[in-house]
Amino acid sequence: MNVVTPAPLVVDGLLVGAILFALGLVGLLARRNLIVMFLCAELMLQGISLSLVAWSRHHGDWGGHVLVIFVLTVAACEAAVALVFVLQAFARTGRLDSAAWQSLREANLPRIVDRELPATDAVPPRFPRLTPAGVAPATDEDALLEREQV
Amino acid sequence: MIASLLPSISPGTLLAGGVTATAASLWMLLPRGRSGRAERSSRWLGGLLGLAALAAFIALGRRLGSVGEDTIFLVVALVAVVSGAATVVSRSPVYAAIWFAMALAGVSGVLLVLGGQFLGVATIVVYAGAILVMFLFVLMLAQPAGLAPYDRVSNEPLLAAVAGAVLLGILSLSIGRLAADPASCCAVPATKAALLATDPGAGPNGPGTVDLLAADHVARLGGELFGRHLLAVEVAGVLLLVALVGSIAIVSRGAADDEATDSRRATP
Repeated sequence: MNVVTPAPLVVDGLLVGAILFALGLVGLLARRNLIVMFLCAELMLQGISLSLVAWSRHHGDWGGHVLVIFVLTVAACEAAVALVFVLQAFARTGRLDSAAWQSLREANLPRIVDRELPATDAVPPRFPRLTPAGVAPATDEDALLEREQV
Repeated sequence: MIASLLPSISPGTLLAGGVTATAASLWMLLPRGRSGRAERSSRWLGGLLGLAALAAFIALGRRLGSVGEDTIFLVVALVAVVSGAATVVSRSPVYAAIWFAMALAGVSGVLLVLGGQFLGVATIVVYAGAILVMFLFVLMLAQPAGLAPYDRVSNEPLLAAVAGAVLLGILSLSIGRLAADPASCCAVPATKAALLATDPGAGPNGPGTVDLLAADHVARLGGELFGRHLLAVEVAGVLLLVALVGSIAIVSRGAADDEATDSRRATP
């Protein structure tokens, strides 16, 4: 049997790929904005690409690299078709909300009901104010009649 | 280095702590439709927990692999992971898209370190240059002003965070097993090993392998792609064409439907 221990760098690449995949999964499950959901799916694809390239390095083979090229191709196709779907969905509902299409859910799932959201920020932005100082300059009456810009 | 502060903790404890911290941090960071002050404090706490989770995973990667020895790898991996997390938890989809571009930069750095020279560049060109710009176009077309209510809430944030963290834990566990017990993953079957032993062109990983880090990397990858995988390239070309035609068809079909409804409304 010919056993090759994975190089430390291969293990690192696999770990980073796993973290990216899990993050993308969380976003895909939790977020409701259709476009953010697609971004999270792309993040999962990035994690997969990292794992493939790491394995390619381990095996000393082009297979992982070639697969990642096809992942890129399919991601481009997917983005084109999916964004057209998103635009159509937006044109029909006026929202980028995945819950706007919840009539497509399984029969035994409860309906998503939006509650009233509290205000995001009670504090209005505070801008610095300069204390008035000195005397007001004399205004030129003729200059006020001129146009500000030509 | 943070990771060297944790030398005495066993990898199992590190993994459990990292997974718990990841779940809690993601749950706190995800939008949950709360008022401004509660949201801010929750994000602070979530960010701190996220840092703890990162430290745990760096320490774990140090045990399993070599995370932290190569500073460049550590930096690009941190950029990728932190921007990926920010993509997931950003309230505004525009910020999410821009954080995703940052994550792409990190991923392409990791690809370069791993020896994927062509792929590192292609990721930037194809993803950040084309796909992400398309996302931003659609966002600018469709995003209402300000934060929409559906950007301020999540579907089941706790369950999603726990599911992601548990998946991450399982994946890390199996990666750790690979590193500890390579016979479980990396054994070459006896017949193939016999074939490989007779292979004259041996790469650095033994007979039958190719040198991925050779100077003419792109030329060799192109040769492999257009030699052994030529049929797949043709199929990918057809797929691109079908996607193009399909998206145009969906758009024009939708427009025709809208016109039909309009004329039906107009006739009576």
